[in-house]
Amino acid sequence: MSQTNEQEPPSRDDLRINFFRPRAGFMRKEVTIIWITLAAWAIMTFGMPIHLALTHSDPTRTLAEVPYIFGIPAYFWFSGQFLILWFIFLCFIFNVLIDWLSSSYRRRR
Amino acid sequence: MEQSIRYTPFFLLCGVLIVSLIVGLLSRRSDRGGYGVQVRSIGHASIGAAIASNWMSAASFLGIAGVFFLNGYFAFAYILGWTGGYVLLLVLMGSQIRRFGKYTAPDFVEARYDSSVARVFSAVIAIVISLIYCVAQYKGIGMVFAWMFGIDYTQALVFGTLITFVYLVVAGGLKAARNPQMHYLVLIISFVVPLMLIAKKLGYNWLVPQFSYGRALRDLPEQVSNAYLFPWTFGSPYEWIALCFTLMVGTAGLPHVLSRFYTVPNNRDARWGVVWGLFFIGLLYWSAPAFGAFARTWLTNSGTILTPADSQALADIIVIKTAEWVGLNEIFVSVLAIGGILAAISTITGLLVTGAGAISYDIYYRLINPKATESHLLLVAKGATLALALLVLVIAVNPPGLIAQITAVAFALAGNTLFPVFLLGIWWDRANKYGAIAGMMVGTIITFAPILLGNLIPTLRTILPPTSSALVGAPVVILTMIIVSRLTPPPPERLRRFLVEKVHSP
Repeated sequence: MSQTNEQEPPSRDDLRINFFRPRAGFMRKEVTIIWITLAAWAIMTFGMPIHLALTHSDPTRTLAEVPYIFGIPAYFWFSGQFLILWFIFLCFIFNVLIDWLSSSYRRRR
Repeated sequence: MEQSIRYTPFFLLCGVLIVSLIVGLLSRRSDRGGYGVQVRSIGHASIGAAIASNWMSAASFLGIAGVFFLNGYFAFAYILGWTGGYVLLLVLMGSQIRRFGKYTAPDFVEARYDSSVARVFSAVIAIVISLIYCVAQYKGIGMVFAWMFGIDYTQALVFGTLITFVYLVVAGGLKAARNPQMHYLVLIISFVVPLMLIAKKLGYNWLVPQFSYGRALRDLPEQVSNAYLFPWTFGSPYEWIALCFTLMVGTAGLPHVLSRFYTVPNNRDARWGVVWGLFFIGLLYWSAPAFGAFARTWLTNSGTILTPADSQALADIIVIKTAEWVGLNEIFVSVLAIGGILAAISTITGLLVTGAGAISYDIYYRLINPKATESHLLLVAKGATLALALLVLVIAVNPPGLIAQITAVAFALAGNTLFPVFLLGIWWDRANKYGAIAGMMVGTIITFAPILLGNLIPTLRTILPPTSSALVGAPVVILTMIIVSRLTPPPPERLRRFLVEKVHSP
């Protein structure tokens, strides 16, 4: 859909910057990467408490029913340990993608 | 509560402070030639260690374990907020702010919004953030000193402040360069090694206490265990999410975190440094809850019963208390105490310097006396440091909450004011000075309304808990900025061109 736009860089007089309507070319790709990372960040961080809030309201029943991992409830391990790893992973992937994007644009210039 | 003075930690503390002064002096002498010149070849891991050492305050070292000890699962909101915020910072504005090329929050605000009024506003906000953050550090110092000397909190606070201040003046006078990598290494070792020994004493897997504390939690009597493991024992889902979100946007808006992006030679190194930085910070946060869990294990095993008030009073030094309770060698108990003090002192140093800089340059020089000479400004900065330190001391005499909670208020303020100003400043060319000023005003009101008016209007505290006001606050401020900016003239063309050509180009 944006193929035609990408061929022609925005004119020098167009100074608009808007996260929701990124400029064609580098910025549009960058914003796509940002959106993907942010989605992966938000869903994992806030998805779990929302899920827990919706499904688990009774302490004794909850702890009897939820799956366990490493001897503790899986959600507990997820929040206490896994998510930090996930954040590190997200930063890693983001950096790889941005490195790739900026080097490909630098070559083009 | 305690009577006798504990000599081991005291002598160890004196030793550590003296050694760090000597090391500072020596390293200053050895790199006199290349003073101020950035070394290009620092590895990403070393940048990460610097990020982590800049980050680790009394809130991380002492505070988190205390919150877990009191509130179980709820403490993960702090842990995730203070790590996930780096993702937000890296993804949304790290590179762009760096390309913008302004090194402090007030500098950025003035350059982007072309307004000295906005600059003063942001400077005042940066100072207040430093103040609140410092109060939490002082509380940590006061608590540890009270424990160390067996004196009451207020005396310990005054004494601790004095020692900190003398150290600060001496170290500052010598320009003793602190080595952040070494600082991180010392802190993490003095945190994790005693934890391993505690796990061993209690009979749990000592190699990875970060995992074995889960086992310890399960071994507690069912009622206690359930309270810790069940997510909503100590806070509602709304409170959890609001707190976590607030700390995240606060991290992304915190001036002294952001400035770390500049002390690295290039953009790419700064980005990769964050990955390592998160890992190093993670090492601490994976471990911190274990102290809280093992403390509860010991209390249960020994049949000691703490009243809620006692637990609350001990929470902020539970890290040290746990080591003492399980009967660790005095040296290791001392190491923990000194780690806490070092984390607090280094944070205070950084914050007071930032705060005093904002007062002397952003407010005094820019607003009151533009003709001031450099030596005159230095004098103002020194006076400001002293004034700030005394002000913090006065507030810290009656600390309004746990270390982690006080710190969280500073994050709420950053998330409600500086975060939206940075975010829109970078991602929306149309954001102008009127929007920024209105946004910062609304953000400040939202942060302090529940604290000041909470007793009059209780619902205010339910919707906007003082530690967690940015879940509602940040979007409201962003909206305010958008509306006000739309109703007023756009920023000058040269600024928007700069954004397009410099800030948003590869």
